[in-house]
Amino acid sequence: MMNVKRIVSRIEKNYILSNLRKEERIDGRGLWEYRKFSIESDTIASAEGSADVTLGDTRIITGLKYDIGTPFPDLPNEGVCTVMAELLPLASPLFERGPPDEQSIELARVVDRGIRHADCIQTQKLCIKEKEAVYILFLDMYVINHDGNLIDTGGVSAITTLLSAHLPEGIIGDNGLEWTGKYLTGDDLVNELPLVLTYGKIDDIIFLDPNLPEELVCEGKISISVTEKKITSIQKSGATTFSIDDIKMLGKKSLEISQKLRKELNLLQYKTSIK
Amino acid sequence: MPLIIKDEYPEKLFREDGKRLDGRELNELRPIKMEVGVIKSADGSAYLEWGNNKVFAAVYGPREVHPHHLAKPDRGILRVFYRMATYSVFDRKRPAPGRREKEISMIVSDCLEPILFLELYPGTSFEIFIEVVDADGGTRCASTTVAALALADAGIPMKSLVSAIAVGKIDGKQVVDLSGIEDKAGDADLPIAITWYNEEISLLQFDGEMDLDEMTKFLDIAKDALSKIHQMQLVSLKSKYITLKEGEGEKKR
Repeated sequence: MMNVKRIVSRIEKNYILSNLRKEERIDGRGLWEYRKFSIESDTIASAEGSADVTLGDTRIITGLKYDIGTPFPDLPNEGVCTVMAELLPLASPLFERGPPDEQSIELARVVDRGIRHADCIQTQKLCIKEKEAVYILFLDMYVINHDGNLIDTGGVSAITTLLSAHLPEGIIGDNGLEWTGKYLTGDDLVNELPLVLTYGKIDDIIFLDPNLPEELVCEGKISISVTEKKITSIQKSGATTFSIDDIKMLGKKSLEISQKLRKELNLLQYKTSIK
Repeated sequence: MPLIIKDEYPEKLFREDGKRLDGRELNELRPIKMEVGVIKSADGSAYLEWGNNKVFAAVYGPREVHPHHLAKPDRGILRVFYRMATYSVFDRKRPAPGRREKEISMIVSDCLEPILFLELYPGTSFEIFIEVVDADGGTRCASTTVAALALADAGIPMKSLVSAIAVGKIDGKQVVDLSGIEDKAGDADLPIAITWYNEEISLLQFDGEMDLDEMTKFLDIAKDALSKIHQMQLVSLKSKYITLKEGEGEKKR
């Protein structure tokens, strides 16, 4: 049974901090190292795409569902993708039942913006008929176990879910909306592979991928979404400040680390093959 | 707006060779996989794959009761929260819990309460969270079965395990373990659970039509299937400790 508490003792905080000062982590990692990712795709038979991603002991299962709806008037030929996150009370004693709280909304929003501004989804391919019918995608993330850094885990699981997609392809025929018998897959949908990297800050020390004990003593966090060459979204959270030099350094670090991670994860292998 | 592919019911629920649509015999269960201790943050947890059903259960407790007024001075309380993921079904489910989920939560809670010694834990609560991430018929039985495992994994004193199964009637024949399509297109559905310490029925619902002979037969075939499930539960609980023993010397959490 794990010791998860809302309040962390000063001794525990000092222990985490003194390790960080020696550029060490309580779980043996270096400052800029991720825990191990493991990914399985298309595990949910009822979903039109899914991913089961673990980062250390943090686990998120994401599923893709769709609906056909009318497009926004200002984007008449583009589909829509919405992201939702559920912090299940099953996943941690820190999570409570009830409607989404700030933390789950932040998780969904940061992952959503990372995808949206990276031009990740080819939204024009999600249009069936201009002004009339487009796909509305629902990416729903369910946290199954919480051991820190939900945002990066959610980011990988959202992208993997989109890559594993198999959406029935629709056309407007003589009888209205019809299925062509084919599927839209990750190939059709996904353009870019954005990754989101979260750093924790305690005192003046910044480090990648905070685990739960670290997250609980963190004064603040910053999440940076990057594509291969560009930064596409940033979220600073928590009651702390980051110096301008730190932010410049983290931008550079994010591009470097994400390039390595992108190679390691090789996300394109999770594409579904049905057509 | 309509979805493109509609849920269609087949005309027949048996193939030409007399087997069921998924190739099973009348009294054959779907493939079942059980694992305990999958959610590390929980006091006890279990995962169950039952055909296409995928269900997680986590137990927290005994712990403080929130809201406070639910606490009972002379005994602990058991609360079960059965929920389905939005993507676990064909049409996306709304994220907020519906009437069906609340009813099943209650049914499962009532089913599990007899096996616990709640009178030993006054003023506290046990909470069981059940998350169905993929659904294909029989989720209330799968949930009951997996919740019992999670309770055992949490080390909470129990009189015995509980096992559950749905039996039913499709195209006039009595079968065990209805799949999603058999449940929807079939004639009758009888979910049933048994508490093994007294071998009595702890969950029972029925929808359909049956005469007295049929009812007797339903209960008989259910009992056989329940014994098989009970065995699987015991094996999965033991296997956690066998793997722990094999990994001895390895640093424990």
